[in-house]
Amino acid sequence: MIKKVAGITVLALGALLAGCVGGTGGGNSSEDGGEEGTISFIHWRGEDKAVFDELISKFEDENPDISVEMTIYPSEQYQSTAQTLLRDGSTGDVFTSFPGSQFDIINRAGLFEDLSDEGFLEKYNDELISVGQLDGQQLAVPLQLVFNQPVYNVGLFEELGLKPAANWEDFLSLCQDLQDAGYIPIAFPGSDIGPGQLMNSMVMNNAPNEDVFDQLMAGETSLTDDWWIDTLSQFQELDERGFLNQDSLGTNHSGAISLMANEQAAMLGSGSFAMASIKEMNPDLELGLLAPITTTEEEAEWEGIHTTTFMLAVNANSTKKGAAKKFVEFLSDVENAGTYANETGQHVTVEGVEYDSEELKSTIDWTERNTRFQPRFLITNADVEKAVLASIQAVLGGDSPEQAAENAQQIVDQHID
Amino acid sequence: MHFRKNKSLFLFIVPGLILYTLFFIVPTLNAVIYSFTDWDGLSPDFTIVGFENYINVLTNDSIFQKAFFNNIKFMLFVLVFQTLFSLIFAMFLIKNTKTNIFLRALYFFPTILSSVSVAFIWTFIYDPNMGVLNTVLDSLNLEFLRQNWLGNQNIAIYSIAVTQVWFHTGQMLIIFVAGLQAIPKHLYEVADIEGARKWDRFRFVTWPMIAPSATIVMAYTTIQSFKAFDLIFAMTRGGPNYSTEILATRIYSTAFRSFEFGYASAQSVIFMFVIAVITVVQFRLLKASRVQE
Repeated sequence: MIKKVAGITVLALGALLAGCVGGTGGGNSSEDGGEEGTISFIHWRGEDKAVFDELISKFEDENPDISVEMTIYPSEQYQSTAQTLLRDGSTGDVFTSFPGSQFDIINRAGLFEDLSDEGFLEKYNDELISVGQLDGQQLAVPLQLVFNQPVYNVGLFEELGLKPAANWEDFLSLCQDLQDAGYIPIAFPGSDIGPGQLMNSMVMNNAPNEDVFDQLMAGETSLTDDWWIDTLSQFQELDERGFLNQDSLGTNHSGAISLMANEQAAMLGSGSFAMASIKEMNPDLELGLLAPITTTEEEAEWEGIHTTTFMLAVNANSTKKGAAKKFVEFLSDVENAGTYANETGQHVTVEGVEYDSEELKSTIDWTERNTRFQPRFLITNADVEKAVLASIQAVLGGDSPEQAAENAQQIVDQHID
Repeated sequence: MHFRKNKSLFLFIVPGLILYTLFFIVPTLNAVIYSFTDWDGLSPDFTIVGFENYINVLTNDSIFQKAFFNNIKFMLFVLVFQTLFSLIFAMFLIKNTKTNIFLRALYFFPTILSSVSVAFIWTFIYDPNMGVLNTVLDSLNLEFLRQNWLGNQNIAIYSIAVTQVWFHTGQMLIIFVAGLQAIPKHLYEVADIEGARKWDRFRFVTWPMIAPSATIVMAYTTIQSFKAFDLIFAMTRGGPNYSTEILATRIYSTAFRSFEFGYASAQSVIFMFVIAVITVVQFRLLKASRVQE
């Protein structure tokens, strides 16, 4: 009897352990050279699946010894689990990273392979990929270029004889004119991405110094200083005058996109990445980008916000780095990057790409304008980032700017070394 | 007894014991160990920091403290209404008629849905612009009751608590029905002979007899309320302005957004302690109202 039960126990444990290690199979020891085999590509953009399927198919035709297994995670899940997945090197030979806190965390874990000597870097705009550099090394290459300022309905503006404003007073007048004409001036997705998007263009000229959040973390400036109190006060003014949609804190991004696509709202407080979705719902709309200038025209140093993101990287723990680098090189090719850009409606950081979609053509001039990197991504502490965004929600929820700033600064203080 | 003669019987618990040790005891002990470190969850190295994490959580973490009080509010609301509704429904549906069995199944139905589906349904119901709730209020000329249900930081936590009550009342109802059906009928007959009114029948017969079921319902509801991570995460992600942040979402954020695993472990240990204390207090209080066996 004892032997029988012991036997069953050993078998059960054996099966359990086999299950635990079974997932790591599928590799081939001959692949350790890294130039062939199946590589894993992980990212968070579900909306890009079709174009990546097409590009991967093309890559596999050109490189018959390499196959690519793509896994897409929801954005939130990706931010929380990518680092863990990458650790043993079996997942994410090629992976993507957000700039900011995720880049910082992955770097701290030593999971970025240095790409500094790779020839494909020449295909990119030097300045735009600098966000993937650290200590003289190119650790990741951002593929996407997005502009994080409100999208506006160009046709509606023309119909009403309105133009983007060059200072805060004119911006308020513009909103008033839109409201008087029966439109919601700004559809604001306050329950999800709105605060994190609109804060960028609202703060860019109130705190023109690009190091402001570094200084915040160093204790050299405070959220209770003028630059943030002014920003919160301006959010409050937009809300109190009814320039944001009613119940904006309960409105999510897709709801705000609907308001824009249905022409109930004249502006959408998110960014260029929403243009494709708006056009999909209402192809007749002509869209443009504008940033609220929160100062006088003379004081304004910046015209808008850009973000280089979807940073391609090779896992330092990968056993197929050669194949992984070939795939990144393939995506960096002008023709392939063009396919990606035009089919996803996103600008890219690769130089010489021809854009053929209307929304990309209509915003191409922003690549030449005086924009600064998205301030929110320069907050490298996730708690501080959340505190900053929560202070905007607090003001829209009825708190005074001073009180909201003070509460947020209290959280910042808890994270200052 | 027989175990002494058949020692082999002990081997039957070995697989379960191994699994329990591997998947519960070891991770729990690990969490306790990590709570005394500054481990970021990724690096191979970490430093022992003693009680620093615990001191910070208890004295210098305003978000954790806010999450704790939000959690208490959420728990109390859910505990009162979920227990009350499930008990009332159970008393109405105690007899095994076809209609009652159908209604019990209907009330139980939300329990089998996934949390994400429930969150999706209720986010739509609560949508301030096109949600069912505000639309119904409008059509009943009750516009003054319209709310930004998930966007108003004063009521968002209660809106989610209502969803939680809807989600789990059916499950608790079944426990109460089982408890009520087990009460011997002769106790009510004796109470009737003694001239007991309805309230007396409930107070002196029903409640003491279902106290064990109530203990299970209330303990389970309390634990569920503290662990309502999925619903809150899918509906509001703790916002707006931390108004729906609870301990579980806070711990997740510390571990998987800030990558402070050591600190998150300290928060988790405190979290376990809080649940344990509340559950023990509940058991003691409810034990007093039980019929002595």
